[in-house]
Amino acid sequence: MTTKAAPAVPRSGRLRSLIPFGYLSPTLLLIFVLMVIPIVMVISYSLRDNVIVTANPVFAGFANYTKVLTDPDFIAALKNTAIFISVSTVAHLVLGLTFAMMLNTKLLSGVTKAIFRIVYILPWLFTIAVIAVIWRLLLDPAGVVNYILQTLGVVQEGIGWFSDPDIALWAVTFVNVWSGYPFFMISLLAGLQGIPADLYEAASVDGTTWWQRFRHVTLPQLKPVIISMAVLDLIWTSQQFALIWMTTGGGPLNTTEMLSTYVYKQAFSEYEFATASAAAVIVLLLTMILAFFYVRSQRER
Amino acid sequence: MAVRSTRLKKLMAALAAATLVGSMAACGGSSDESSDGTVTLEFAQWWGAELPAGDFDEIINDFTTANPNIKIKLLSAPYASTKQQLVTGAASKTLPDVVGLDGAWVNDFAKQGAIADMSALMTEAGYDQSQLASQIQLDGKTYMVPVVNFVYPLFVNKDLLTKAGVAAVPTTRTEFSDAAKKITATGSDVKGWALPLDTAVPNGIQNDVMSWLWASGGSMLADGKPNLTSPEVKATVEYVKSLNDAGVIAPGALTMKEQDKVEKFTNGQVGMMIDSLAHINLIKEGKPDLNFEVAALPAVDGYSGKRGIPYASWGIGISDSTEHKAEAFKFVSYLMDQKTNANLATIANGFPGNKNAKPDFSNSDPLFEKAFEIYQAGTPANEFVGLPKSEELMRSFDEQLQLVLTGKTTVDEALAKSQASWSEVIK
Amino acid sequence: MASVQTRRTLAKAGVITGLVLGGLFAALPVLWMLSTSLKSNGEVFQNPPQLITDSFSFDAYTAILTDPAQLQFFLNSYIVAGSVTVLTLLVAILAGYAFSRFTFPGSRTINAVIVSVQAVPPITLVIPYFGLVVALGLYDTYPGLILTHMVFTLPYAIIMITAYLNTLPKELDESVKVDGGNGWTALWRILVPISVPGLIAVGVYTFMISWNEYLFALALTRTDEMRTVPIGIQLLMGQHSYEWNQMMAMSILGSIPVLVLFLIFQRRFIGGLTAGAVKA
Repeated sequence: MTTKAAPAVPRSGRLRSLIPFGYLSPTLLLIFVLMVIPIVMVISYSLRDNVIVTANPVFAGFANYTKVLTDPDFIAALKNTAIFISVSTVAHLVLGLTFAMMLNTKLLSGVTKAIFRIVYILPWLFTIAVIAVIWRLLLDPAGVVNYILQTLGVVQEGIGWFSDPDIALWAVTFVNVWSGYPFFMISLLAGLQGIPADLYEAASVDGTTWWQRFRHVTLPQLKPVIISMAVLDLIWTSQQFALIWMTTGGGPLNTTEMLSTYVYKQAFSEYEFATASAAAVIVLLLTMILAFFYVRSQRER
Repeated sequence: MAVRSTRLKKLMAALAAATLVGSMAACGGSSDESSDGTVTLEFAQWWGAELPAGDFDEIINDFTTANPNIKIKLLSAPYASTKQQLVTGAASKTLPDVVGLDGAWVNDFAKQGAIADMSALMTEAGYDQSQLASQIQLDGKTYMVPVVNFVYPLFVNKDLLTKAGVAAVPTTRTEFSDAAKKITATGSDVKGWALPLDTAVPNGIQNDVMSWLWASGGSMLADGKPNLTSPEVKATVEYVKSLNDAGVIAPGALTMKEQDKVEKFTNGQVGMMIDSLAHINLIKEGKPDLNFEVAALPAVDGYSGKRGIPYASWGIGISDSTEHKAEAFKFVSYLMDQKTNANLATIANGFPGNKNAKPDFSNSDPLFEKAFEIYQAGTPANEFVGLPKSEELMRSFDEQLQLVLTGKTTVDEALAKSQASWSEVIK
Repeated sequence: MASVQTRRTLAKAGVITGLVLGGLFAALPVLWMLSTSLKSNGEVFQNPPQLITDSFSFDAYTAILTDPAQLQFFLNSYIVAGSVTVLTLLVAILAGYAFSRFTFPGSRTINAVIVSVQAVPPITLVIPYFGLVVALGLYDTYPGLILTHMVFTLPYAIIMITAYLNTLPKELDESVKVDGGNGWTALWRILVPISVPGLIAVGVYTFMISWNEYLFALALTRTDEMRTVPIGIQLLMGQHSYEWNQMMAMSILGSIPVLVLFLIFQRRFIGGLTAGAVKA
């Protein structure tokens, strides 16, 4: 992004070169105090034992890391998180793109589209605590979804969507898909509206099909938005805590345990702040890999 | 250039000032002594949320009227949030002056040095300890005093029981199992029993599983050490498994929360549950015409000893970092005095922590008096009180139990694993 | 050319069917939320389920709107989300200007750091924040919440605003400088006014993030005077029962400010994203 900026001509030497830092200072100050310092703190916690709960923690080296990395629950959480974020992101992309293209159609009037646009962003308006509660209600074994399925004869007995170890992970993923697609959709809609109309006109003159136009105009034009949104979505979904905590709490049988709920349990129920910190640092390192790709995708644009 | 930097500075200064003013304004309410010598005590608890609206405030107001130099600021939140706030408060040395405690939290907070030794405060104040029904101690020092105790009897939906053709409320495990099966047989959306095993707040292990063990005089400990491989524990888990295999447990058990259990009972979706007596009001509010009664927990067939009655307490403790320990203790002794304690126990549908306090049954539900009889006939039992990391103990047991119920492991293996993980915590 | 006409009609029917199906997916849970808010708690699990029941009433809404504690949650959310939005925009405009109009040593690195801040999991920060926020005297205060929310809203805002400013020709600021103004004047007099659509997009987005934030709002406050709407909703889930109707009523009420913002600004919001996302 910055590479495009015109080289500034130095007018008053050194002082002039400090100007951009002046503009950046509030940002840098905030990030230093509320991001850099806490990360340093968490790293230092992770290298000691009995932090926070006792006054004099002792240095423990990488013992906490070994403990976390050999914990089968952590490995399970890692696997679940990988499934959860990749399925969510793909589903967000597919739904977001489908919905965005339908909302961008030229076949319908502006007002109709505006109404649908509002309907489609509805899931975005609610805080995650509410989303967890409403889906607990809907997916309860005695809830509406099971009632409908039973009436239609699809199932005999109400299904415990959140309590069946074979289904729970898919149920929370589904809820996450529902709650998270609107932002993807809006960004892609914005992207679609930015595609110059003459590209499509040129394509339709050639007598191409809808699918050819989609593959050769729409997708290539949207590619940068899709890539950066996908990486961003992977990152955000991996941070999802409240949804899991309030629907399944990581259960049943750890089948929905995520890295975030793992860290939370270590800290607030086991009081193992040191291992929690070590796990948090590992999570941080993993997300930094994603961040690396995100930075790259931003640069490429 | 000069203009630019001045403006920037002004902007920054304005931001900084806004931040500062905001934080100062917000600090005004904290527990410092104000200029006129009044002390404000912060009191964090989950009790206010469970009492009829306004009742708790009235009790607090009576105290502040009698002690004009002390103000009480209530920090009320539900149980699970209160716990999290206290854990973080203890970690950051910002624990409120007076804290509501569950017996299961005491060990951790005391070891952390977050809550004060109340024995010393009692001696200092010349407090008569003989009036207290119980004190929760660690290494001989009191850290928590139970203010109100709640028993967990068996709740039975009489209409469902009659519909199922069961004449009497079950008193043994066999009768219970039989009744549960018959209730389940009455309809497609009715089950015999509800078992909340959600691992986010794994209290179900204490209230709904171990309670079966205690009711038959069993113990999960031996000399303070875990003893989960004993025949009694094994029989309990096998019994729960048999209920599960018979299909009498409401679906969704593995992620069911305590609230869901109460709700399913209230809505007539399950016929029986083990629950806190405190919920009588709540159930009556939700479904005024629900015909239910409470009974002692069923014991193993032929058991004639005293029945352990699971209980939970609203306990109280004092922050070790408060500067107003004397005032805080004054408040504690107010809550524990004969009259206030009886009053609080009455409105909470619990049993008083003061031995001499007599709850007033005249206006309360007849079920309450019945429960008091059950309580007096048995002995209060909750072995999680005072154990370290009790939530984690419950959770690891819960995970093993879930494996058993889903057929992924055997009872013996699950208990052996639980024994091993408990032994690491309780040394 | 009747076939073209037919194909158009078919396509239109297809799109409408698709939109309605997708709309049901999006809206049915919300409709159920609305329906639950108008029921009594006893009827929530009634079988068979009904959309509108005999006990239809707005009592839950009245209960929320007449309870001073609940109103305080709304006030707090407005104060926090409003301040976060304004401050995020101010700070991000300055930063975006620096990235867009200057080349300076370390700019790529700093930019990369800011971008990767988005990836820092909040759960990593929760543990050290207690100590830190208490030490700074920000525990249970508005500034504490505002500043922590800003850490998470700023990076995206900076990226968007930088991208937006990059779309504006450099000649614009040069013209101000020719007239004797400096970079500061160019920014506020020329660039910011032109960027309003982009700023609105960023502002609406920021407001939503802050309004719905849950983890820090829970962790960094402890009194009802400081708690926000998401926590207020959670508090209605008592230990022993759910106040379904009030919880849903509060959720509906809580979503209204965000909905209104979107209604007013939806064109500009999408337009702003378009400029930022595509032309960067």
